[in-house]
Amino acid sequence: MGYEVYRMEKDRARFRDIVRGRLRGDLKKYLSSTELLGQRAGRTISIPVPQIELPRLRFGNNEGEGVGQGPGKEGAPVDGDDQEGDAAGAAGDEPGNHVLEIDVEIEELAEMLAAELELPNIEPRGTKQLLSEGGRYSGLRNQGPRSLRHFRRTFKRALTRTIAEGNWNPADPRVVPIKDDERFRMRRTAPLPESSAVIFHMMDVSGSMGKEQKEVVRIQAFWIDTWLRSQYKNIEVVYIVHDAVAKIVNDEEFFHLRESGGTKISSAYELALDLIQNKYRPDQWNIYPFHYSDGDNWSARDTSHCISLLRDEILPQVNQFCYGQVRSAYGSGQFKKDLDKELGSSDKLVSASVDGRDEIADSIRIFLGRGC
Amino acid sequence: MVRTPNLPPRLRREAQRAEDAARAAGLDFFEVVFESVDARDLNAIAAYGGFPRRYASWRFGMDFERLHKGYSYGLSKIYELVINNDPTIAYLVRSNSLMEQKLVMAHVFGHADFFKNNAWFAPTERRMVQTMDAHADRLKRISAQQGQDQVERLLDRALGLEGLIDPYLPLQQARSGKSVDRVGRARASFEAVMDGRPAPSPVPTPIPGSTLPTYDCLAFLIEFAPLEPWERDVLCIVRDEAYYFMPQRQTKIMNEGWASFWHSRLLTNGLLEGSEIIDFADCHSGATASQPGQLNPYKLGIELFRHAERLGHDIFRLRKIHNDSSFIDELVDEEFAHENQLFTYHDNPKGGGPQIASRDWRTVKQELMNSLAWGGQPRIQLREVDAEGALVLVHRHDGRDLVLQEAGQLISQLAHLWGAPVHLLSLDGGQGKRVTAGKAGVSVADCEEAIESCGGATSPKQRPEQKRRTA
Repeated sequence: MGYEVYRMEKDRARFRDIVRGRLRGDLKKYLSSTELLGQRAGRTISIPVPQIELPRLRFGNNEGEGVGQGPGKEGAPVDGDDQEGDAAGAAGDEPGNHVLEIDVEIEELAEMLAAELELPNIEPRGTKQLLSEGGRYSGLRNQGPRSLRHFRRTFKRALTRTIAEGNWNPADPRVVPIKDDERFRMRRTAPLPESSAVIFHMMDVSGSMGKEQKEVVRIQAFWIDTWLRSQYKNIEVVYIVHDAVAKIVNDEEFFHLRESGGTKISSAYELALDLIQNKYRPDQWNIYPFHYSDGDNWSARDTSHCISLLRDEILPQVNQFCYGQVRSAYGSGQFKKDLDKELGSSDKLVSASVDGRDEIADSIRIFLGRGC
Repeated sequence: MVRTPNLPPRLRREAQRAEDAARAAGLDFFEVVFESVDARDLNAIAAYGGFPRRYASWRFGMDFERLHKGYSYGLSKIYELVINNDPTIAYLVRSNSLMEQKLVMAHVFGHADFFKNNAWFAPTERRMVQTMDAHADRLKRISAQQGQDQVERLLDRALGLEGLIDPYLPLQQARSGKSVDRVGRARASFEAVMDGRPAPSPVPTPIPGSTLPTYDCLAFLIEFAPLEPWERDVLCIVRDEAYYFMPQRQTKIMNEGWASFWHSRLLTNGLLEGSEIIDFADCHSGATASQPGQLNPYKLGIELFRHAERLGHDIFRLRKIHNDSSFIDELVDEEFAHENQLFTYHDNPKGGGPQIASRDWRTVKQELMNSLAWGGQPRIQLREVDAEGALVLVHRHDGRDLVLQEAGQLISQLAHLWGAPVHLLSLDGGQGKRVTAGKAGVSVADCEEAIESCGGATSPKQRPEQKRRTA
């Protein structure tokens, strides 16, 4: 068989279109919720969508009754497993109960994100591209193998010639191409950019960053990853946490680790710089450091150390450095003020403050809106 | 008389043996065609209701998505799929074991016999595969002319109204010698317009079911609503298909019971090898298992037929004349209710989920019949077109309230097709209600008149207001 499946693909595609339409409409909601986090597998993201229900006439609130089968005295609870479902006549027909997961490609989700936030595509930096030779049949020439003969072009030329010679007979519309008419497809080589990027997610995990602040960072990081993954073929993500010292962790730890104590932001910057110099060399990598904190630093001296690290070492080597300041109950927010004052004129530094989940979308727009 | 176009020789032999055994036992069926498919294809076919081809709709895609996901995660698997058609078409899943294939085959012959002989199926279209195909072609043609979106919108609207037909109409028509699905007028005029001829003058050959009052709302709309010819045609298709599927709703318990009764009997009387018996018992008991608080149609059905046989009934006659509701009326007695541990339940007014309300067999029987009557759906009668041109629908209340908010959405789609307001009278917690859908949206008002119209003689039982538990 198999043709059922082929036919089904059209109906399935239409359904998925409808779902995508809704997804697009609801993107704002997803931008401020954790619903999609952890749904990524490879290059697809499964998105839970409620089944679309057409309104029907259904029995309602006094339907918690019916006929069942099993042991027990009158008045005894109908146990069974309540989770298992309803009795006869009451098939689970509550709308919204059926949740279906639809797999969406990262590119597609990124495209929706771009449309929502009006993000420009990133133009990878010229010298940082690894070029691989690609090619497509986009040219024409008048010699070549049979198998590459361009039928339409050849026929058109032959037809033109036949008419021009006065040999065209509509009653017997025969066109015989001669060698001169023949045109062949030609392969043109084109360099295909194959670019790699590395993302550094650095987060302040000192005592003042609470659960909600970390959730905000998680959501932000998810969307930033999604976007950059759609833009670069090879992406590596490095997670760095810091309080007074910095360390590399995996994504799980990154989002759940809770440290206490002081904050020395420069520790994270130094670690990132070390990685840039030794592992992710700027001539081969597009580099995107993101730093999230509540804006409290240990001392003004460390802050000025951070600023000189950024100005002299980090900014010249990266595509863009993003600082996201998450508002917390304890943070003073001083660090952003300092950064903006000292480095606000640099086109490589972007800072945004996020007061809550509703502002995640705006901060992502600020971070990624420059297209570099 | 069994056809097995793509079965391996081993299964072909088994299909023949199963057929011989079924005939020897007295079963009578149209030719049965077994087709072997893989699970993914079966999910696609199942999403199309068992048919190789249906019209294009996202809903089939959604059903497929759900079935396919369920199957991929190992949560659900379709064992058998058989459609009422001449020849009767059944699918075998390639990955099943030989024992499972035998079971499905025997089960299928049970269904095939039921389709051919049960009175409620007698008026159904038996060339439904071709009919579905023709419907698909017609809708494709209409879509090409009117645009996919237009047709989709109408279909979505019309499909909600699928339940607004009269389950008893086909039998009445068959008895009076008229057939239900010849909605020729609309089709003829549609085709005339398509071919550029003038539409035949509207000399009404009334559609069966379109005189008031009626339960066949769809017929009434087709006949009298201010619709374009193509819209009429779409509604005709929806109505034809709804009537085709209706008897399956009305006879779910009997049909599955009958098929299970026969697969069990045929398999244990010679079709199985001795070594397969235990696997079979495992599989069979899985299919007929019942959770406390649940009714499994396979289980209830097979027990009813066994009970009937013990009482000396002619089970072949029973399968011919009954639907689920009348079958239960005929057979459920004190002994049956007791042996099968039947009970009624309701939500505990103090909370904490449902509790057993009664084990009195009469109560159980009454409730069971109630819930199965009318194909398990709310009974909605189209009573009249009132002085303002609005449709008045009446919900024949049987103790179960409607979800009024959703009913409101539904009748607003109806109002859209009708081109004027629609009222629905119903009861909610014993209180008369009138739901109105019109240009101004949907509104619900108290309505004294509804108490009499909907409840009639049976006063609605008072029930505690209680949220129904969710699945």
